[in-house]
Amino acid sequence: MSLIFRRALAYAVDSAPKSFEPKVVDVLVVGGGPAGLTLAAGLKNSPIARELKISLIEGFNLQPVKDFHNNPPDQFSNRVVSLTPQSIEYLQKIGSWNHIKEERVQPYDEIIVTEGISDARLNLDTPELATMVENLNLQSSLYQRIKELESQSEDNFGLDILDNTKVTIIEKDPINNWPIVHLSNGEKIKTRLLVGADGFNSPVRKFSGIESRGWFYNRFGVVGTLKLEYAPYRSIGWQRFLPTGPIALLPLPNDNATLVWSQTIENSELLTQIGDDLFVELVNAGFILEDIEMRYYYRKIKAGETKGLTDDIKWRVSIASKKYTEDELDEKFPVKVISVNEKSRARFPLRLSHADSYVSDRIALVGDAAHTTHPLAGQGLNMGQGDVQQLVKAIEIGLQRGLDIGNTLVLEPYWANRYPENHMLLGVVDKLHKLYSFTSEPMVQLRSFGLNALNQISFIKNFMVKTISGK
Amino acid sequence: MLRSRLLTPILRRTSLITGRSLYSSSVVCHYDKKTSTSKDEMDHFNQLAETWWDVNGPQRILHKMNLLRMDFIQQTLRNHIQLNKDVTNPDDEIYVPGYSLKLLPKQISEQILLEQNLKRDEIQRDQPKLNILDIGCGGGILSESLARLKNVESVKGIDLSTDVLKAANLHKSLDPDIESKISYELTAIEDVPKTEIFDLITMFEILEHVNFPNEVLSSALTHLKPNGWLFISTINRDFVSWFTTIFMGEHVLKIVPIGTHHLDKYIDETEIKDWFKKKPEFEVKDSKGCTYLPFKGWVFSPTPNVGNYFMAIQRVK
Repeated sequence: MSLIFRRALAYAVDSAPKSFEPKVVDVLVVGGGPAGLTLAAGLKNSPIARELKISLIEGFNLQPVKDFHNNPPDQFSNRVVSLTPQSIEYLQKIGSWNHIKEERVQPYDEIIVTEGISDARLNLDTPELATMVENLNLQSSLYQRIKELESQSEDNFGLDILDNTKVTIIEKDPINNWPIVHLSNGEKIKTRLLVGADGFNSPVRKFSGIESRGWFYNRFGVVGTLKLEYAPYRSIGWQRFLPTGPIALLPLPNDNATLVWSQTIENSELLTQIGDDLFVELVNAGFILEDIEMRYYYRKIKAGETKGLTDDIKWRVSIASKKYTEDELDEKFPVKVISVNEKSRARFPLRLSHADSYVSDRIALVGDAAHTTHPLAGQGLNMGQGDVQQLVKAIEIGLQRGLDIGNTLVLEPYWANRYPENHMLLGVVDKLHKLYSFTSEPMVQLRSFGLNALNQISFIKNFMVKTISGK
Repeated sequence: MLRSRLLTPILRRTSLITGRSLYSSSVVCHYDKKTSTSKDEMDHFNQLAETWWDVNGPQRILHKMNLLRMDFIQQTLRNHIQLNKDVTNPDDEIYVPGYSLKLLPKQISEQILLEQNLKRDEIQRDQPKLNILDIGCGGGILSESLARLKNVESVKGIDLSTDVLKAANLHKSLDPDIESKISYELTAIEDVPKTEIFDLITMFEILEHVNFPNEVLSSALTHLKPNGWLFISTINRDFVSWFTTIFMGEHVLKIVPIGTHHLDKYIDETEIKDWFKKKPEFEVKDSKGCTYLPFKGWVFSPTPNVGNYFMAIQRVK
């Protein structure tokens, strides 16, 4: 027998069980991000749903998530999210918050919103308004909780996590219509319920035929992890609306902070390419200089005339600072940024999108697969957490009623619960983005008047605080 | 025919007739040998068999009704579990306050409820699994739901329509979890061998269609094990029922053929209660009204003596 033939035979025997009989599960979660992992942990934590057979597949390597608990990286990651108290409450309920690395999270109780063209400002404060957490820390806590539940389970745990595995094709079983998902490792999984927690480009959503509507904001979010001159006395989130988009500096423990700067496509590219020093000064400038000065610097950078520019910005910032007393500077501006962590700068496109439905026969979409939003209100991830919470609840009720959990009768309440709330949030954030894109004088005056007025009207502020914190 | 309590045009084409009513109309034949309506109804059911399991099709309203039936069955079974029955050590007792939980702070009442529910889960897990008889199973909507419960061993569904049973058998074969737990049979309750007894019997929307409901009821009761449960539903003989099921359901919205319902066959909740008073081995444990709200679906109503209602009966001796 020739060697080639033998190899071919060995291969055929090896792959035969994989390619012919699909594995059958109750829930297949596509996506190992925060939404997918929360769903897996939420279901396995539920006394009603824990017996479901679940598979979770993730296209990327989950090794950093698995390693985080024992070997956390020295530096803070650039992917940081703001969690509302409501999201945290759920994570506590399902037992994953115990596994969070507390020394790496930073609660903050105030947001100071200013704008780039006028001096209008709005302070929103409430105890524990939100908490900054690295995505990795969040994912790791969920992963650890899943491991903990597995170690506590008496019999077969019924949850497989496959990373480095992508969806290649999704088809329907010709007999009972269950989705069959083909994976890049050659395996097939047939599932009662297919959950798309697979992000904006969701293959699951495409398979379901559910339409998603929205637009690209023509903006990118530039992120980076920053070091401040000193650890601030109070944890405050700073956001200044510039005509190019809001710049936000959010607190991390000690003298660390994270940046989300919405920028035009062109500027975002420049900001990720320029040297660290110049970048740091531009961030400082973003909170105090005027629009016309910022535009001058972007022009210079674009033309490649960056020599001496860092010092020039420093000088202008110091001039601008002289208008204020020490106390005013402390009160109105964030602590100066002194450096940016190496390779922590990245950019991602900002979009609004909303799927027409989150459910169809044997399909449910959660998180970014169902909706994406501008990061200016820090709601994106929290909306996904709210989705998962409601989907778990819908599945529990369905199981108690003896229903097939892939049935739309089970899934519809999830969608009915989440769609209106998400739609409202997407709309408000979208309007805010548009409102602050105007530079014409009457518009600026009107919105500055509005922002200052808002700052004085406590019941509207309370409502906003409630919305932001999800209370 | 409680499903005719639907007033919205969406439901116009929704049939209120289920296997149950066919079953029952055949039962009618069984007793008085009049077959005048059964041909029409049979055709109607043959058409329905194809779309029985389409939750967005003509049977949507029945699928929605099934949610409330299951809630009623589950709640009744769970509420009648005695939490501290076999507990000898008082420290192991689950706290059951002698007053409304609403009086307590939310966190505490939630904790108490959680503990009670976990205990109920535990007790249900340890109890022998249930064998169930679903009388008038139709396409198997209720049978399948019952079969999926963890504490159910088997479900036997009986009906008198070959076509709906075909639909039922086809559909159960699509789900590996329940396929072997359910058996369907073309038979009347009177013909089920007396030796077959069950922990739980369901008879939803049957009694209002039979000429001798007491005979059907008596027949069903002979198959109930000691401590077993019978769940029924029917309609009160009142103006509300006439207005919703006959006037609106048959004449205005034409959801079901005219003549499907006969007000004089409707049975008041109090009449069934009185009937059971003469049978000391059985106790009516609970009854709940139910109402269809457009855009919301079926909900429990506080008035079991108006319109449609569910009832739970237990064999106590």
